Amino acid sequence: MKVIGDDLHVLTGSYVLDAVSDAELAEFEHHLQHCPTCAAEVRGLRETAARLALARAFAPPPRMEQRVLAATYRTRQLPPLPREQVRAAGRFPRHLAVVSFPRRLAVPRRLAVLAAAASVAAALALGASQLSAQHQLDRARTTAIARVVTAPDARVETARTSAGGSVTVVTSAALREAVVSPAGLAPLSSGRVYQVWVLSPSGARSAGLLHDTSLLASAVRSGDRIGITVEPAGGRTHPTTSPVAILPV
Amino acid sequence: MSRPEIRQWRPEPTPPPDLAALLGQVARGDHRAFELVYAELSGPVYGVVRQVLRDPAQSEEVAQEVLLEIWRTASRYDQDRGSAAAWALTIAHRRAVDRVRSENACSRREQKAAEPEPAEDDVAETVAATLEYQRVRRCMGGLTELQRESIKLAYYSGYSYPQVAQLLGVALGTVKTRIRDGLIRMRDCMEVTW
Repeated sequence: MKVIGDDLHVLTGSYVLDAVSDAELAEFEHHLQHCPTCAAEVRGLRETAARLALARAFAPPPRMEQRVLAATYRTRQLPPLPREQVRAAGRFPRHLAVVSFPRRLAVPRRLAVLAAAASVAAALALGASQLSAQHQLDRARTTAIARVVTAPDARVETARTSAGGSVTVVTSAALREAVVSPAGLAPLSSGRVYQVWVLSPSGARSAGLLHDTSLLASAVRSGDRIGITVEPAGGRTHPTTSPVAILPV
Repeated sequence: MSRPEIRQWRPEPTPPPDLAALLGQVARGDHRAFELVYAELSGPVYGVVRQVLRDPAQSEEVAQEVLLEIWRTASRYDQDRGSAAAWALTIAHRRAVDRVRSENACSRREQKAAEPEPAEDDVAETVAATLEYQRVRRCMGGLTELQRESIKLAYYSGYSYPQVAQLLGVALGTVKTRIRDGLIRMRDCMEVTW
């Protein structure tokens, strides 16, 4: 005998392909909770649909990773459902609240930040290719840097250096961190390195040695400046030469 | 509909990480675990969204939302109800389809963002052609024409089954049945176990 249940049951396929109209959807999902056979079939067909998706995997633009990872730091997570609700909900939730991705691109200044972020990411990608043991460290650093360059208050300064090329500094006053990215600095003879300093009224504090990749300077205050000098290998505790570049933060 | 030039996407010999376990860590706020989840799922998520939406800029936006949604709702993933990949890709496909349908409802959204969108050159277009692609293609080959077209139009093009029926000029009931029968055949052909 043909009953309504059978008719609904045929919808399992359309349901997992998201091809059911909203009106039928509610009815079908209600039906699912009382039809273990249907629920089991939906499970299997959903896995099948996932294979259709996997077959179309496509590498996203590299910049997406930085944006998403940075956004996770600004996004509160949902608590788990109470157990009884988990059991009752025999399906994946359909309408999850929409998380709006912050549109960071509306203001031209944002473009500069993102351009800087992109070059930072590119520089990091180079650094990260050293792999394995270093890899995890790099990932952590990438994340920290992503946090700065995507901060709502991120400010960008770029200056040419007397050693050729340029240096870009992205600062977040709220995070009190700055990202220093070199581009095209003249290579130094062995035994000499570029060193980054945080310059404040109380003096110069080393923020580390600058290699090909970006460097994260912490505990930066507004009014401080970032200076870069050439120092003997290993760096110094105080700058011993005049800076090749000084940038405000 | 089918893409002629299909290239390898991440031909990694290493076994995939345990996504379900990683999602458990993500639910506890572990950013490091989320990076691994991202590495694993960003390609499939972006790929399926793009398959439906076509427009790269819009796909990127939606894929970002989906990946952030995975972060936000990781605690709601329940292993007993399916694989982690299926959970994530369900969110991705729905979000893409919702976008299509809301766009059709309203007039076409202003799509000129401030961001200059670099043209995606062919070299960068590393379409997924993993084992999965081969397997899906082989199993699709075992379907009837109507089953195959119905599934493709519904899933890859994001049409509702009444729209599919209209496009193919067949009865509603026929499409519903063909989609279901076709998927069951795909499931068995690909030896999906759940």
